[in-house]
Amino acid sequence: MDQLLMKARALHNERKKIAFSALLIAGTVAFYLFYSPGIIDLPPPDWFPSGWIQGFEVVASFNTIAFFLALGLMVLAYSVWTWAFLPSPAAIYTMGVLRGILGPDVIIRQSIGKKFRVMLEGGNHIDVSCSIKGLGGEWFNYRLVSSKVEGENLDSIALRHGMSIQDGHFTSHVSNDELHSRTLLLAKAMMFVNAN
Amino acid sequence: MITMAEEDTQRSVYELLQLMSSLNDTRRAILLALGHIYPRSVSGVQLSRLIGYSGKSRSLYRGVLTHLQEDKMILIDQLTPKLYSIRINNEHPLLGVLVDMCRAYGKEVKSLYLKAMEEE
Repeated sequence: MDQLLMKARALHNERKKIAFSALLIAGTVAFYLFYSPGIIDLPPPDWFPSGWIQGFEVVASFNTIAFFLALGLMVLAYSVWTWAFLPSPAAIYTMGVLRGILGPDVIIRQSIGKKFRVMLEGGNHIDVSCSIKGLGGEWFNYRLVSSKVEGENLDSIALRHGMSIQDGHFTSHVSNDELHSRTLLLAKAMMFVNAN
Repeated sequence: MITMAEEDTQRSVYELLQLMSSLNDTRRAILLALGHIYPRSVSGVQLSRLIGYSGKSRSLYRGVLTHLQEDKMILIDQLTPKLYSIRINNEHPLLGVLVDMCRAYGKEVKSLYLKAMEEE
């Protein structure tokens, strides 16, 4: 594995630990706030039928609900954060590889959700999205999707470049050590389609 | 002077070479092994032994094999909930060439693979 990716992996693991310990601390604080008498005492909402409230409070207090909501929000924030951002060494690696194969001047737009869009000549583009430790335990997998292509024998062209075609897009899952060579093949396949 | 048929073959071999070199070690080893033992199919455990894979065969299924299947390079049939039969896709325009070459020139390698599969 590439040095940058090793760094990114270490960073990813480190962040996980930090996030977990932060969650523990924040969870404890929230527990203290909601369950110490007199700090927060949520009144039942007015619009709620009072019979329901009485029945409900036998099972759980409104503070309990608020506590679990707070915990849920923390977990949600963490998962959004990991979904949205790639550790920066991995982003540098990805950009470097894509620039290396498609030229230093190529325009790459990075967007939230670990996605990259490479603009090619003639209005075509390639979408590259990265997943960290996806299924099967492989670190840093990429999914390559080309822009919509039209022409004859697309299926055969896709197969001959080690890809499959889905709704008119060349598509493939590649691992990090294949990113370079298979992006090259994808670009070649798109040139082939455009030339015909 | 090369004939049309020879040119087609050369082109396919060129593309096959390019395809094989674009894949990583694991995928390349899988395709080579499956190409040699064609038309036999193997289970996940046998395959991981053939390619010298150290991880669990289950992790092969969820990553590499699924992706190879998506790209129509291999075919996976589920025999029972836990037993799969994996073979190379002979209909693939380039892997068909690989299979032909393996059958023509790879008899020794094939027997090595088969022997490795039998040992338990």
